[in-house]
Amino acid sequence: MRYRAAIDWFNYKKWKPHAFQKQTWKSIAEGYSGMLNAPTGYGKTYAIWFGILHDFLKRYNTKKSDHKGLHCLWITPLRALSKEIENAAQQVSHDLKLSYTIGLRTGDTTTKEKAAYKKQMPHALITTPESMHLMLAQKGYDTLFKKLQFVIVDEWHELLGSKRGVQVELALSRLRTINPDIKVWGISATIGNLQEAKDILLGTAVEKGILVKADIDKKIVIETVLPDTLEKFPWAGHLGLKLGNKVVDIIRKNNSTLVFTNTRFQAETWYRHLLDLDPDLAGQFALHHGSLGEDTRNWVEAALHEGKLKAVVCTSSLDLGVDFRPVDTVIQIGSPKGIARFVQRAGRSGHQPGATSKIYFVPTHSLEIIEGSAMRYAVKNNKVESRIPYIRSFDVLIQYLVTLAVSDGFVPEQIFQEVKQTYCFNSITWNEFAWCLAFITTGGKSLYAYDEFHKVVIENGVYKVIDRRIAMQHRLSMGTIVSGGMLQIKFVTGKYLGTMEEWFISRLKPGDVFWFAGRNLEFVRIKDMTVQVRSSTSKKGIIPSWQGGKMPLSTQLAATIRHQLNEYGKGNGRDKELKFLTPLLEEQKKRSVLPNEHQLLIEKIMTKEGCHVFVYPFEGRYVHEGMAAIMANRIALFKPITFSIAMNDYGFELLSDQNIPIEEAVDSDLFTTAHLNDDILKSVNTTEMAKRRFRDIASIAGLVFTGFPGKQIKTKHLHASSKLFFSVFEDYEKDNLLLKEAYDELYDFQLEVVRLRNAFERIEKQEIIVKNIERFSPFSFPIFTERWREKFSNEDIETRVQRIKAQLEKA
Amino acid sequence: MQIELGNHTYQFLNEKALFRDSNKTLIIADLHLGKVQHFRKNGIYLPPQSALKDYERLKNLIRSFHPKRIILLGDLFHSAYNHEWRLFCDFVNAYRSIEFVLVLGNHDILEEAHYKDICSKIIDKTLEEDDVIFSHHPLKKMVAGKINIAGHIHPGVVLYGKGKQSIKLPCFYFHENQLILPAFGSLTGLYVITPEKGARVFGVTTNIVMEM
Repeated sequence: MRYRAAIDWFNYKKWKPHAFQKQTWKSIAEGYSGMLNAPTGYGKTYAIWFGILHDFLKRYNTKKSDHKGLHCLWITPLRALSKEIENAAQQVSHDLKLSYTIGLRTGDTTTKEKAAYKKQMPHALITTPESMHLMLAQKGYDTLFKKLQFVIVDEWHELLGSKRGVQVELALSRLRTINPDIKVWGISATIGNLQEAKDILLGTAVEKGILVKADIDKKIVIETVLPDTLEKFPWAGHLGLKLGNKVVDIIRKNNSTLVFTNTRFQAETWYRHLLDLDPDLAGQFALHHGSLGEDTRNWVEAALHEGKLKAVVCTSSLDLGVDFRPVDTVIQIGSPKGIARFVQRAGRSGHQPGATSKIYFVPTHSLEIIEGSAMRYAVKNNKVESRIPYIRSFDVLIQYLVTLAVSDGFVPEQIFQEVKQTYCFNSITWNEFAWCLAFITTGGKSLYAYDEFHKVVIENGVYKVIDRRIAMQHRLSMGTIVSGGMLQIKFVTGKYLGTMEEWFISRLKPGDVFWFAGRNLEFVRIKDMTVQVRSSTSKKGIIPSWQGGKMPLSTQLAATIRHQLNEYGKGNGRDKELKFLTPLLEEQKKRSVLPNEHQLLIEKIMTKEGCHVFVYPFEGRYVHEGMAAIMANRIALFKPITFSIAMNDYGFELLSDQNIPIEEAVDSDLFTTAHLNDDILKSVNTTEMAKRRFRDIASIAGLVFTGFPGKQIKTKHLHASSKLFFSVFEDYEKDNLLLKEAYDELYDFQLEVVRLRNAFERIEKQEIIVKNIERFSPFSFPIFTERWREKFSNEDIETRVQRIKAQLEKA
Repeated sequence: MQIELGNHTYQFLNEKALFRDSNKTLIIADLHLGKVQHFRKNGIYLPPQSALKDYERLKNLIRSFHPKRIILLGDLFHSAYNHEWRLFCDFVNAYRSIEFVLVLGNHDILEEAHYKDICSKIIDKTLEEDDVIFSHHPLKKMVAGKINIAGHIHPGVVLYGKGKQSIKLPCFYFHENQLILPAFGSLTGLYVITPEKGARVFGVTTNIVMEM
C-alpha cells in the first residue's frame, strides 16, 4: 500500500490527513522538488516528513534497514524550531518503530556530538544555514553528503529576505553537484511572491518543481483595544502604556496570551508595566526576546508549551514556528508594520486545525488606531507583502569561497558554474568572480600590503587555506552573519542572563541600576567583555534600548491605510475604529485638511524653533527618509538652507531655522519624477548610509574579525575599522564589489528606490494642498515629537556656525 | 587666524596646528602615529592608506610656512614600537633643516634612542621658553605671567542652534592663559568640552578657524 507509514501513524493518532498532506506525499514519491505553502497548525511538517520516510523505506526496502548515511538535511532558521522538528520526527520513528535516526546540529551542539557525526551521520540531520556552512568547512564533507537525497528548507519565506537565504542557495548549489538527484523542498508561509520564492530555492537547474498550496482558510478575528475616551489618549507616543489595564483584563480572561511588541525596549517596558498593574501575574508571567540567554528562552518556551504561563511578553523572537498549543490569545502592541507579520502573529493562537485565531491590536497613539481598521481590510482582501531576495551578495560569496578553501579546497571554474546556477548570482560575470578570487588570495588592489588578507593560496589550480590560524579565524567568524557588538550580562556568581549592546553599557557607572530580563540589576563592573551585575531592590532603573533600524510600514499596509482614510472621507465603511477616531479626524479637518486618495497634504507652521513643513505621503519611514532628503535638496535650490528631518510611517517633517519657501517649491515641480535618480544621489547622504551598511558586509566578508572567544574586540573599534576600509575603497578602488554591494543594498532595502519612485509617480498625479496651520494638527504632532532626526544642509559649515553664533548672541 | 598670547602673535591654523611667526615655530599635538600597526597587532585591520593622510597634511604645512622648528606636544607615537616608526623617521629625515623637539606624552613609550634618531631635544615634562611653558598634559598649577600651551585633551566643541541643529568641531581652547591644541592625528577621537566662563573657543573646519 502506498504511504503505508503515514497512514499507519495517522490512524494511530486518530487523525485524518489533509488534502495538501496527501498531495505532498504523492509529489515527493513522484520525484518532484517543490514548495509547500500551508497555514501553521495544520501539520506541514508531517506532510514533508512522511514523504521523506516513504522514500527511505522504498529506497532501502525494509523497515529495519541497516542502511547508514545522511538521507535528509532539514534546515530551519531558528535553533528553537530545530528542537521542535527533532521531537516530532523522533516521535514518529518511535511510534512506528522505525530505525530512522534523527540528529541535531546547531550552534549549541557539543564538540563531542559533532565529532560523532563525522564518524556516523544520522539519517536525518536538522540544522541551521550557518551550521550547514560549517559542515562545508570540514575536510571530506562530500562523503557526508554522498547519499543525501533531500534538503528541506523550513520557513523559507523567513530566510529568503536575508543573507542566510543566500547561504542556503550556495550550499544547495554545492550539494547538487555532489548528488545531482537531490530533491529540495521548501516550506513557506503565504507571501506575495510565493512562485518566485519557489523558483529561487529550486534554482535554475531543477526541472521537476511543484508548488503545493493548502486550500485552507484560517479564520482571524481582529479586535482593536480602544481607550475609554479618545480625548484622554495621547496624540503621540511609542509605548501605549495607557492601555495597560485593558491588556491585563484580556490576559486575565484568557488561558494563555502572547503579548507581541516591536522592540526589545518595548518588551522590557511592558513586562514591567504589566507586573506593576497586576502583581498576581508574578510566577506565571515571562519575558522573551532575542537578547535573553538561551536557557531563559528555552525555559519560557517549554513553560508555554506545557501551559504553565498565563502570559509572555515577547518580540519577533516568538514570531516563528514553534507550536504553543495552550496559547489562545495574541496581543499586538503598536503597529504591526506589515500584514504578513500580523497574520503570522495572529496564527500563534488557535494553533489547532480549524480553530479561530484571535488577535488584539493595542495602538500606541491615537492616529495609529486606524491601523486596526486597515489590517482587517487587508486580511479580508488577502493582501500580503512580498519578500525581496538578496542578489549579488558578494560578501556571502567571499565567505563561502573561503569556507570551501578551508575544507577541501576548490577549483574556480567548477564553483563558478555552480554559483551561477543560483538566483543570487545568476548575473555574476567571470570578471566579478575573478575579483572575488583575487580578494581572498591577495587582498585585491587595496589590501595587498597585508598578508592577513592573503588567506587563500593556489596549489596546482586548487584554492586552499593552509594556514591553520586563518582557518580557525574563519570558522569562528562564520556564525557572524548577524553583526556583533554585544556584551554578555552575568551575575557576579556566574549565572548568564543575556546580552546587551556595548553602547548602552558604556553609559553606565558602577552602582547604576537597570532593568533587564524583567529584573532590576545593579551594574557592578565589566570584566573580560562580560558585564557583571547583582540583583537590586531599587525601584528605579533605566530600561535599556537596542539600536537597529525600525521596521518601516509595508507598501501594502500603507496603501490600505490610505484607502481606509479615503473611505472615511467618503463617509463609507465606518467600522469600529474609524467611528471611534471621528473626533480626531474631524479635528484634523478643523485645524488643517483631511486629504483624500487624490490629494497630498502639506502643512506649514511657524514656531519658536523655526519653520516646520509636514508632508504626508503615508508610505512608511524609509521612503519618507529618501523623499524628505530629495525635497530638502530641491528646496535648497531656491536658497542655501539647513534642515533637520524627522519622520514616521505616515509622513515627515522638514524643520529649518529659516523660512522654507514651500509654496514656490511646489509650484516648480517639487515632486517631479524627472531626474529622480540624480536627485537621490545628490541629496541623500548615500555615502554615510552606505558606510553604515558596509559594517555587516565587512564582517561577513572577513575584513574585520570579531575576535577569539573571550577576547572579543570592541565594537567601537570594529566600526571604526570597517569605516576606514570603506573610505579607502572609496578613494582608491571605486569598482570594489563589496563597496558596490553596500550601495546596492542601500538602494534596494533602505532607500527602497523602486517604492520611492512609485510614490513620486503617485504624488505627481495628485493634487497638492499646502496649508498654513496655527496649531499642530493630529497628523503632525506625532512627527513633531520624534526625537530621532536626520540632517540635510547645502550651506557650508562656516555659514551655519556664523548663524548659530548670531542666534546665540541675540538670545 | 592671528591671536596675541602673552608677548607673541600666533596663527591658529585649520590644519589643527599652531604657528609662531617670530621664531618660525610650528607646534602640533597628539599625532598618534603608528595606530594602524598597533591595531593590526591587536587583530583590528585598518587599511594602510589611512595612515598617510596625516603626513600629507604635515608636508603641506611645512611647504607653506617653512618652519625652522617643529615642537611635537606629546603622543607622537601611539604605542610600542612598530615599523610605522620608520615611516616617520624617513619623513623627518627629508627635512634636515628643521629642528624637531618632542615633549613626551603618556603614549610615548618608545626607547629614548628611537626619539634621538630624529629629535634634537626630548623633553620629559615641560619646555619653558620666554613667557611660554609647553607641556603635553595641561598644567594643573599655572605659573603667574606664563602661558601654557598643551595637548592631550583632543578638545572638541558642539554648537546647538534653532531648528534642532547641531555642529561638532575640533577646537583650540583657551582659558586662563592655558591653550589646548586640537589633536593633529586624523585617527583620533574628539573629547567634547563644555567651555568654562571666560574661555575662548576656536572651532576648526577644513577651511578656516573661527572663534565661537
